[in-house]
Amino acid sequence: MQTGPENTDGNGTKNALEYLTFTLGKEEYGIDILKVQEIRGYDVVTHIANAPEFIKGVVNLRGVIVPIVDMRIKFKLGEPTYNEFTVVIIMNVLERIIGMVVDGVSDVVALNPEQFKAAPEMGSSMDTDYITGLGTLNDHMLILVDIERLMSSEEMQVMEQAN
Amino acid sequence: MNHQDPTVLEINTARFNRMFFEECSEHLAEMERILVSLDDGEPDDEQLDAIFRAAHSIKGGAGMFGFQDMILVTHVLESLLDKMRNNEITFSPSMIDLFLEAGDVISMQLSGHRDGSEVNQEAVDLIRGKLQLVIEGGTAAVKSESAFLPAYVHQGNIVTDCNAPSADTTVHRYELTFAPDPDTFKRGVRLDNLLADLEELGMLTAHAQVSVPGDFSTFDPEGCITSWRLCLETSVGEADIREIFEFVADEDQLQVLDVTDGASATGENAEYGETAQCGLRIEEDSSAPAASADHPGTVTAGRRAYDKNGTTPAAYGRRAGDAESSIRVGVTKVDQLINQVGELVITQLMLSQTAAKLDPVLYENLHRSLLQLERNTRDLQQSVMSMRLVPIGIVFSRFPRLVRELAAKLGKQVELKTIGDMTELDKGLIEKITDPLTHLVRNCMDHGLETPDARIAAGKRPGGTITLRASQLGSRIVIDVIDDGAGLNRDKILKKAAERGIQASDSMIDEDVWHLIFSPGFSTADAITDISGRGVGMDVVLRNVQSMNGRVDISSDPGKGTRITISLPLTLAILDGLSVAVGKEKFIIPLNSIIESLQPTVENLKTVNGKHVVNIRGDYLPIIPLYELFNIDSLLKEPEKGVLILIDVDGEKAAVLVDALLDEHQVVIKSMETNYRKVDGTAGATILGDGRVALILDVNSLLQMRKQNMANS
Repeated sequence: MQTGPENTDGNGTKNALEYLTFTLGKEEYGIDILKVQEIRGYDVVTHIANAPEFIKGVVNLRGVIVPIVDMRIKFKLGEPTYNEFTVVIIMNVLERIIGMVVDGVSDVVALNPEQFKAAPEMGSSMDTDYITGLGTLNDHMLILVDIERLMSSEEMQVMEQAN
Repeated sequence: MNHQDPTVLEINTARFNRMFFEECSEHLAEMERILVSLDDGEPDDEQLDAIFRAAHSIKGGAGMFGFQDMILVTHVLESLLDKMRNNEITFSPSMIDLFLEAGDVISMQLSGHRDGSEVNQEAVDLIRGKLQLVIEGGTAAVKSESAFLPAYVHQGNIVTDCNAPSADTTVHRYELTFAPDPDTFKRGVRLDNLLADLEELGMLTAHAQVSVPGDFSTFDPEGCITSWRLCLETSVGEADIREIFEFVADEDQLQVLDVTDGASATGENAEYGETAQCGLRIEEDSSAPAASADHPGTVTAGRRAYDKNGTTPAAYGRRAGDAESSIRVGVTKVDQLINQVGELVITQLMLSQTAAKLDPVLYENLHRSLLQLERNTRDLQQSVMSMRLVPIGIVFSRFPRLVRELAAKLGKQVELKTIGDMTELDKGLIEKITDPLTHLVRNCMDHGLETPDARIAAGKRPGGTITLRASQLGSRIVIDVIDDGAGLNRDKILKKAAERGIQASDSMIDEDVWHLIFSPGFSTADAITDISGRGVGMDVVLRNVQSMNGRVDISSDPGKGTRITISLPLTLAILDGLSVAVGKEKFIIPLNSIIESLQPTVENLKTVNGKHVVNIRGDYLPIIPLYELFNIDSLLKEPEKGVLILIDVDGEKAAVLVDALLDEHQVVIKSMETNYRKVDGTAGATILGDGRVALILDVNSLLQMRKQNMANS
């Protein structure tokens, strides 16, 4: 099977997974499209006292209170700006609804497992467990993220820990 | 059983009865759901417990409302289930049919009480007999079960067996569908003899259906192309009918359906057979049992009206009285409605804001319509909100009768007091709290309170008191069930726990010992009565309360009584609150914790160790600056420029500093934990009129936060 960079759109293989790709600063990320509920603009958030900086607060999504995290702040990527082009990806993660601020949503791509490589070891200082692989897409590197693992990780502080 | 004449106690109970009917239908449906889901497999402990609890609850309710006949059936059912729970009787797949059948009979009795439809007493006796047989037979009966059960149970219908003693007293109406195979005549079968035999059994009507083949070239003149729909009114059982067909029809060629009025196991109603034509009814039959079995309680009325369209016009008129009865709607549906209306209000606000920019003269009509829209949406919102709130008095008012009947049965003198009837609770909570409360009150009466003699011996008044008290405490709703009985017996509980194999040790503190009574299967009652003592009560209580994110606490004083406290979160409730501004943020402070608000003068403000205090009529109260506690950028840091809100938490007072007071609201409390996590100092969040989220402060934890902050700094 081809694994060249031009092999972007699904070539009919059954086990191809679809990813929503988005940008954070100059990096391009992809998450499982099935976890995405909707994409909307950035609204005024209600700040949560004593929450980490990357948790912007909560918004009202049709009567449901949804926390908003800004991965640009969390990953220290780019200057977080909020304007009419700022995009929030609303995701369904572990039966919770969480909003994630990103710089922009690019595309939906289908990738075969063969099309991405394991992420290199980044050293123990950085938790990269949530990166499932690195894919190549039109000369860009695509970082595939296990969003459930990321959002439930302790350092995200989005969810109450088990105890 | 000591049959107490229910008419003596006949108060206006229609309202409560309706509640019971609804609940009972739910329990039945639940039981059936589990049974059916078993699919002939063995139920695990959890499922068995659930079935048992359903039966137990039905019995409890029936007892409360004096439906003795239902108690009789559920009692045997429950006893059998209990034996199965204790592994005294092993499970066999045929029991599922038996239980389903029992459920049908209870359902029939239920509709008898509700709609006044006829109850087939035979079926009732039969099922009791069968259940009793399994109980008594114990293991022996199980072995011979395969031989024993199929004779009674056929296609889930209740069929009078020829062996049943009272079987030949009533007339049954059967519908037979007989489709002989083409070779029937070649085997020498005489259909005329067959029909004659049937006719001997009772009134027979026969409809023949001839299926003419399309192609006459292959037509066999000696083949049988006729199928029969027979309607037979007879006093014999199905087995006898089948016997006639024994050498004529294979199993799949004959269907026998018992459609006797009221007796049909599916809860069908009385006038069914009177009006409809035999041949016509076959189509109806296929759909009707399924519908009524799904939801025996709620569907019946409506379905009858539809099914009978035209045939019995009177059905409409008769049912009209039920129009004002309630419709049970899922809580999620109501929540969805509330959310949607909330969205509507926000949209309407946005629309108004946009329209405000338009020339009022040119767009006069638009403005008028928008005003109308605003009024309508407000009304709509209010109506929707009110759908959820119910005073707890509705639950409390069910108890006087229960207490009275139980007291008579137990030979105890009991007085029931209720406090805080008007405490408003979310409908969802009301529904769920009823069962636990019933169990608690029952337990109090049965185990807690002593007999008059024992009380006098202990130096107490002969009559005991049970108090039900509801109140809102901070962000929780607290319901106490208090009795002045003997209190819990530590030694007895520990001994019982050891017997039942529940982990316990003598060194446990009292609170932990009390909590042992919540273990499944735990019971300290010396004898199992039909009131309580099967050891489901407390386990049900704990489960139900926990499912509401609540807590159950027990405090007990030997010789003086027991208090069981159920504390529920406010998550579902609506709260009166004051919205305040701090910097750009808005917060809601619950009104019930606010004493007053004031603008302090410089003279009233003092500092202690650099911390501000305010002098209110001689008292020095600590000031809690909200901006500091919540790290909010606020331009306003001096107390004299802001507003102080005096709060009271269990007698501890403090003044919360905010920038400004905004408005008083009734807000729906939403949980932050659903999608996020608990936020310190808050009791949840709500959505304001402009669509933004505002956090609801929990003054109790604010005080704790302040103390922690002071300890850290």
